[in-house]
Amino acid sequence: MHPALIGQLTIDGLLVGGIYALSALGLNVIFGVMRIVNLAHGQFVIMAALICAALFDWGHVSPFAVLPVAFVGALIAGALVQRAFLRRLPEDLASAETTSLLLTFGVSYFMLGLGFAIFTGNFHSVPYLTGSWSIGPFSIAQARLIAFVTAAIIALLLAVVLRYTAVGRSIRATSQSLQGAMACGIDVENVRTVSFAIGSGLAAACGCLLSTIFSYNPQTGDDFTLSAFAVIALGGLGNYAGTLLGAAIVGLAISFTGYYVSAQAAQAAPFVLFILILLVRPVGLLGRRAA
Amino acid sequence: MRRIGILVFCVVVALLIVIPPMANGYYRSLFYITLLYVALAYGWNVISGYAGYFSFGQVTFFGLGAYVTAIVVTKTPLPWEIGALLGGVVSAAFAVPLGYLMLRLRGPFFALGMLGLARTLQVAANSMGITGGGQGLFLPPGSNALSVYYWTLAIAVLAFAGTWLIDHSAFGLRLQALREDEQVAATLGVHVTTQKVYAFIISAAIPGLLGGGYAWYLTYVNPVSVFSTSIDLQAVAMTILGGIGTVWGPLIGGVLISQISEALAAQYPQAFLMIFGGLVVALLVFLPRGIAPACAAALSRRRARAKPAEART
Repeated sequence: MHPALIGQLTIDGLLVGGIYALSALGLNVIFGVMRIVNLAHGQFVIMAALICAALFDWGHVSPFAVLPVAFVGALIAGALVQRAFLRRLPEDLASAETTSLLLTFGVSYFMLGLGFAIFTGNFHSVPYLTGSWSIGPFSIAQARLIAFVTAAIIALLLAVVLRYTAVGRSIRATSQSLQGAMACGIDVENVRTVSFAIGSGLAAACGCLLSTIFSYNPQTGDDFTLSAFAVIALGGLGNYAGTLLGAAIVGLAISFTGYYVSAQAAQAAPFVLFILILLVRPVGLLGRRAA
Repeated sequence: MRRIGILVFCVVVALLIVIPPMANGYYRSLFYITLLYVALAYGWNVISGYAGYFSFGQVTFFGLGAYVTAIVVTKTPLPWEIGALLGGVVSAAFAVPLGYLMLRLRGPFFALGMLGLARTLQVAANSMGITGGGQGLFLPPGSNALSVYYWTLAIAVLAFAGTWLIDHSAFGLRLQALREDEQVAATLGVHVTTQKVYAFIISAAIPGLLGGGYAWYLTYVNPVSVFSTSIDLQAVAMTILGGIGTVWGPLIGGVLISQISEALAAQYPQAFLMIFGGLVVALLVFLPRGIAPACAAALSRRRARAKPAEART
């Protein structure tokens, strides 16, 4: 094993992991507030990526220009899913955790069918910023680095929103204690809608950034749900700092298996890793056992 | 009442045995697909409906059964029925260690763990030599679809009877108890882990047995056709429509939905996914308990009204 090669694979893995972190953060915000896992999350990622590919084919529109629009679009779509469906789930049926899994499973297939209808089953990718910079023995793909930096800026913005704004405070309060938040007069229903919207928006932003790196068709949406879940399972559900660690691990796993085993195996790497970790620690690496 | 029920059951099964050989190809395949999905829905219903562990990866065992059968048929002179049986045995055997490991996970962890498992096996089947890679395996053509039909009918009947037995047994009560509250069930003396693993084995054996027939019916298997989670989607939609965790639910939902899926799947695959996805969402919002419990409630209301009337006469 050549040290320069390992360095290169590490850089690639961390860059991709950083972009994955964005979608995982979105999933985690939703989970933190609503205690549900959105199985359609990856479909939001893939929809945004497919839109980027279509717009690039049409008029060479930069995915970075699509990003804010896709973010807002997903914000609205996410709010709709929560308002129109999730909120209407009967409360006495079973725990919200399990019924909502079924519901978002349905939403994900609806979006999958929609994706096939609009974008067909062909694989797409955006050949944008295909050059690379070389620093010492390493070469860094431009698209990856710029996407990584963008992801970092968005994650920082999210941190600022969560920490310093009224909306962010009510999101954190609701995550910590539903009853406590309600007792403080927080409109919990509203917070749920806002966090579902933000989570979906982050997924779409992640999709735009990934659109130049991977090739994808609507079917790959499930993979992004799984890898985002793998990231937050590694980092601990509801733990935002842990999400970054989880994303780094998943990114490294993808890049190393991709080189040493096969591109096929790299696809499955996040799930295998995730199953292995869950078997050792059913609540994730940094997760706390729920009360 | 019970005697009438058994009589109706026998008549229906007899009709299902007698009619298909006389029917034309289209109706024969419709009968087959309907029974296949009814049986798959019964399989899903045990672990997810009765035990409350939602799995989006039971298709893992379906694919396993299909591949085992395809390998047996192409690599040995044995008939496909042996392969399909072996597929069921392999699935059940695989479900034992897998159940002990995966059923420690709860809610979304279990659901996504199973989804990830199905994807992992799909990728594995795609890259291994013995499974023929992405191209898959081709079974001898000119297969006898009628034998697959009877195989599937037998499994569907067994799955129905098995679910009825579970519903009327202490085992079923233990599953429902742990579904409602696992800790309380454990303190009441239910050996939670063992019961969950039993349920998981049943839910693995049924798709495992069905997969082989499907492989023989299609005359090919590939990673996309037998490890696709859209197969699970249909079983899930059917069970919810009919009534999750009930004896009649998968049958009612399966019979109703198969007709839609048969009409749509081949011609409009995108619309098919959208309709099924939308159906799951709409059902959960508007008819979360499904048809069977709604019928049962109506029936018991009618009986309650009839009783005092009888007393008066």
